Order: sequence, then structure tokens, then C-alpha cells
Amino acid sequence: MKFKLKIWQFTSAIWLLIILLQFTRLTELAVLWFKYFSLLFNDFDGALTLLDFKFIDSLLSLIIFILTPLMLIVYHRRIRFLNHNLNFSSGVIIILLITFLMAQIITRGNPDFQKNLSVTKHLSPLSKVKVLHLKIEDSSEGNSLNKFLLYKRKILREVFNESIIYADSIGAITSDKILYHQKNIMKEIPADKLIKDNGEPLVTTKTFLLGTDEFGRDTFTRLVYGLRISLLVGIGAVFISFLLGITLGFIAGYKGGLIDMVLNRFAELLLAFPVIYLVVLILALFSSSLFAVVIVLGISGWMSLFKIVRGEVNSLKQKDYIQTSKLLGIKSNKILFREILPVIIAPVIVNLIFQFSNVILAESALSYLGLGTGDSYPSWGAMIQSGQEYITKAWWMIIFPGGCLVVTLFSANYFGRRLNKFFNPRLDI
Amino acid sequence: MNNKFSKAVIKRLISSLITLFLLISLLFILIRISPGNPAQKFISPELSPEIAQKVAEDFKLNDPLPEQYLSFIGNLIQGDLGISYNYRMPVTLVVWEFLSFTLVIAAISFLVQIIVSYYLAVYTIQKQNKNTDNLISSLSLIFYSTPAFVIGVLLIYLLAVQVDLFPTSGFTSLDYDSLNYFEKLLDKIHHLILPLITLSIAGIALFYRYLRDNLEDIYHQTFIVQLRANGLNENTILRKHVIPNAIGPFISVAGIELGILLGGTLITEVIFSLPGMGRLTIDSILTRDYPLIIGCTFAAGLLMILTNFIADLLKLKIDKRLLRGNVI
Repeated sequence: MKFKLKIWQFTSAIWLLIILLQFTRLTELAVLWFKYFSLLFNDFDGALTLLDFKFIDSLLSLIIFILTPLMLIVYHRRIRFLNHNLNFSSGVIIILLITFLMAQIITRGNPDFQKNLSVTKHLSPLSKVKVLHLKIEDSSEGNSLNKFLLYKRKILREVFNESIIYADSIGAITSDKILYHQKNIMKEIPADKLIKDNGEPLVTTKTFLLGTDEFGRDTFTRLVYGLRISLLVGIGAVFISFLLGITLGFIAGYKGGLIDMVLNRFAELLLAFPVIYLVVLILALFSSSLFAVVIVLGISGWMSLFKIVRGEVNSLKQKDYIQTSKLLGIKSNKILFREILPVIIAPVIVNLIFQFSNVILAESALSYLGLGTGDSYPSWGAMIQSGQEYITKAWWMIIFPGGCLVVTLFSANYFGRRLNKFFNPRLDI
Repeated sequence: MNNKFSKAVIKRLISSLITLFLLISLLFILIRISPGNPAQKFISPELSPEIAQKVAEDFKLNDPLPEQYLSFIGNLIQGDLGISYNYRMPVTLVVWEFLSFTLVIAAISFLVQIIVSYYLAVYTIQKQNKNTDNLISSLSLIFYSTPAFVIGVLLIYLLAVQVDLFPTSGFTSLDYDSLNYFEKLLDKIHHLILPLITLSIAGIALFYRYLRDNLEDIYHQTFIVQLRANGLNENTILRKHVIPNAIGPFISVAGIELGILLGGTLITEVIFSLPGMGRLTIDSILTRDYPLIIGCTFAAGLLMILTNFIADLLKLKIDKRLLRGNVI
């Protein structure tokens, strides 16, 4: 008897793995939020000012993490997808989703965190550095808000952190000072500046799982946050394409005549056009930001959906039930969403998934060309571009983001094909 | 017959002209609704205000919109797209200079794609459901979903950095001027191999999948069973009946693929820093050279319309059924 892993079992396994690997991180976040709620009772207004995106994000990740097993227990029999056998692409999709939702739990660092460039620059994967922990000057005693702020900064890493020093190796530890090496330079620090652990100064080891880039930033953390950008751009752009394609396709197919002809020609022009030139032109004429990239990619991807919807509407509009609802005086938008969309949902979903992978590819290509979201967000394409400059000495800077990109796109394409086959069983791909 | 053919050609010519008109309108709308001084879209702001004034008059930027639109169309038809900021030359000349490289590399890559994918598809269709077939099919899906720049950078890493077989970038070596004619040619070919592989792999995967699916579709049709029952051998069925039927739709895909190819050359030229129109576009966007960006986009669109027109004509030549129906 051959045991086959179901998708919900795989998800639970990943969940357990996260608990095993990141248990301290989970408790840290839980304690942070417990402290925050107790702070809310003491100093409500002060506590509200602390809310920022990262902070709320950590709460959401925590809630989703706690809810995941409950949802799995309740729904694993009802949702058919969760009961399918695991294959490569669905496994990748589950991992990507979990990483997307729980980035704060999976990685501890900040994607833009830099410190002691001479030590951390171009570290190869799995290389280790020593970390010296400095005492934080506790200037305001008694104020619960400031205490909480200090704790928060310890848990949710900011871009700057003065309380740690990275060192290649630790030299002699005497009672009053500590010697450490940074790229063959010997430095020393008074021992009373460090946090003490059982009388000895606290020195820990940090492992950079996938190495660091030219600014000493952790590649793994940047990959995790880059995934978020990719998926967000994908979802946003696909949503815009969906709205545009559905409405324009419906108008063209339903109204017919001149509008149909003009829209159809226009769609054909854009379909044949090398879209990247258009995207580049629009990004050049308008400003280039994350928002602009989402909108431009959304606008440049609606044509295939338009074609599908237009064709389907054209054949559907002669059907009796559409004619009846028209005669009953139902508004066009209701006819579209209540009567037509449910009929054509299968090809639309398949198209949206392919569109999603196209958008992720286009976004990474844009950031590779230096026209994407810029340096404000980590992006896989931009990581590959900066890796190409150091191709002779830092292979990990291109292999890992490139691998992530290929695996993601492959899974999306494969998933789309499977779905297509599922909806059209006679189609033998 | 001849009359019908010329009628169909004229029909497609008109539809291409409409597409061209739509392209120009799109460009005009984009330029007009974008923020900033419209005169800047044709001439550098560093030049004196008098010249800017003169340009604004030349391009009729102070006139009402409909007249501006008409003069914009007129200027485009005459090939007047303003003056590049960086090159201090008319945009048309600059684009023309860089376009030739892109055209050559795109044409070579297109040939490579068609030939390789054709032979792969015909080879694997004869070995249906065997290991090689499955391997090539799944490889094609992987390559299809791999971005060109990942392939390019990996190729550079493997074949140029690890094994010193090919140069990492550029079109000519440093000692190019001292070489004789034959060595110059060899040098260029040596520089072009990696870009060509990068550019062609995605297209090969796409063509292969499409042609393979087509071939398989036709293999499952009843007339093939009929032919087999008549005692024709498999080879004749394949050469005389399956391939000619599968090749028709292939051409229209080829027309669309040319668009993807032009986008692909843009990325490939940036990866390998080759002197083509794609890198010109990216350089000009990074230096905010608006006239050049608009010129490059227009050139790309024009190329697209032209190649699709040619693909349509080819399809007419091959598939005579199109002449009978009212298929546009």
C-alpha cells in the first residue's frame, strides 16, 4: 500500500515545522502583543500611536498562524482542494502562501538591515558570524510606554540596531575588555558595555542561511519579503486586469457594433505589441512606484481575458435566459455578474492564473531592468540584477532569487494547466 | 483566384492601417495626459527657451488638441519625432542606427526557434509517451516558465565565469580593430552565442508546446485512422498529412511570438549589454530621454504591425481555405 500525502496533511506538517524551528520567535511575538494589550489599559492614546504596518502585520501573522490548524480541522473534509494528493506545484503554492502570510514569523530580521559591512559583506550561505550584544541605555525608568518601545525594537528589528556588533571572531576575553576581529582589524570594547550572561559577556553566533548581498543584507529575509512584493503586485495587477477584461469584454460582446470593433482592434493591437515597450513608456512618462507598476501591469494584461469574455458573451446573449432577464428589466451589470459570470467562470479563472504568472514575470523583469519598485522594496528581479554585478564572487546572489522565481512561475503555470484540465476533462494536455 | 487574393490582401492592409492609427492615437493620448511640459517630450529642457518655443511652434503644441493630433500624425508619417536629448540627433536616425542590430539578432533567433522546435516536435511525436518525449515535454514547461534574464544570468555564470568559454558581455572584443575581416566575423559570432541561446529558449519552448499539441490533435482525428486503414505507412502519414495540417495555425502564433521576441531582445540586450534598440530604450528611460523612448516604442509597434501583416500574407498563401470564407 502506497501512502500519498494529502494537501491538508502537508500544510499541517509545515505548521508543525514552523513551531519546531521558530518557537522562540512565536513566543516573542505573543509576549509582545500581550504586553501591548496590557499597555492599552494603562496608556491608551500612547499605545495607539505605536501602531504601524509592521506591528499590525506581526499580529495578523500570529492570528493566521493560530487559526490555521483550526481551519484545517474544520474545513479539510469540505474543501476539495485540501483533499487532493500533494504534487510539486501545489506544495510550492502552499509554501509560498504560508511564507506570504507569515513572513514575520518565518524570518526574524528586517530585509534592509545592515550592520558592520566589513564583516557581513558577501557572506556565503551558511557562514557564521559572532554577535556581541551591547547594553541598551535605559534612560527613562518607570515609563511603561518607553519600556514597551524598547522591547518592541528588540523583537521587531528596525533598519538600524545599535545594540549589536557583528565580528568575524572573538579574541581574548579579559575581565575588563573584549577583543574582536573585523576583517583583520583588531578592535576592543569595555566588558561592562556588554550584556552579561552568568557573569560572562553574552556572545552568540548568527548563521546567514543563504548568505548576504553587497550591503550585508540577509538574502533569506530579502527573499521572503521579495515574495510578498511579487505576490502583492501579482494580485493587484490581476485584479485590475480582471475588472478591465470583464467589463470591456462584456460591453464589446453585449453591445456589439462600433464599440465592439474599436475595442477588439485595440485589444489585438495590444496583444501583438511587445508589452514591455508599452510598460516602459508609461513608467517613463508617469512616475515609477509600486502603485504605478501594479496599475501599468494590470492595464497591459486585460486583452486575453477580454477576448474570452467577448466571445462567450457573444454566444450567450442569444440564449433565452439572458433575453428573458433583459426583458424583465434587469440591469446590465446584474446580468453580467449574476447570469453570465457564473457560466464562464472556469476559463476566466484559468486565464487569471496564467495572467498572475505573467505579471510576476513582468514585475521581476522590470525590477531587473531597474524600472520596478526601486530600492524601497526588496524584489527578486532587483536582487538578480545586483547579483549580476558580483557574479564572479557571489553565486548565491543570483542562484537563490533565480531559483525562487523559476519555481514560483513553474508552479503557477503547472497549476493553471491542471486547473484547465480539471475544468475541461476532454481536453487532453 | 488572383482577384480574391488581392482583395484579401487589401482587407488585411486596411486592418493593419487601422491598427497603426490606433497605435498613434494611443501614443498621442499617453503623451498628452502624462505630467510635465509637452515640449519636453520632443526636446531637451537644457536647451534654451527660445528653441523650446520654436519646437512648440513646430510641433503645434500651442494649438487646440484636434489640430495637435493631426500634426502629430503628420509628423510621425514624415518620421519627425523630435530630437534626442543624449545623442543631439533626430530620433529617427538614432533609432535606425540601433534597430539594425535588434532586427538581425531577432531574425536569427526566430529562425533558430522555428527550426529547433519543429524538429523537436516532429521527433517527439514519433516517440509518443516514451521517456524522451516526457522528458522534453516537462523540460519545455520549465523553460517556458523561466524568465529570460534568469537563463541569461545563469548561462553567464556557468559558461562565462565558471568555464571560460564565452565573453560575459558586449558585442566586440577589446582588440576588435586589430583583427582582419574573418576574425572580426568570428569574434562577433563568439559574442552572440550566449545571447542567442537566452533569446531562443523561451520561444523554442513555446513553439514546441504549440506545435506538439497541434500535431497530437491531428493524430487523433478520424482521417488519420482512415489513412492508416488504407495501409499508408506512418512516415508518409506524418509528412504528407499531419504536418501540413498542423503548420497553418503555427504561423499566426509565429506572428504573436515575434512580439514576445522583440520584448525578449530588450531584456537580452540589457543582460549582455549589446548595442540594440532594447538597451537604447532602457538607457533612454534611465536618462529621461523622452523623445527617444517614444521613438523606440513607435518603432517597436510599427515592426509588430509589419510582421503580423507578413504573417497574415503567408497564412493566406499556405491556407487556401481563408480565401473562401469571410474570415478577417
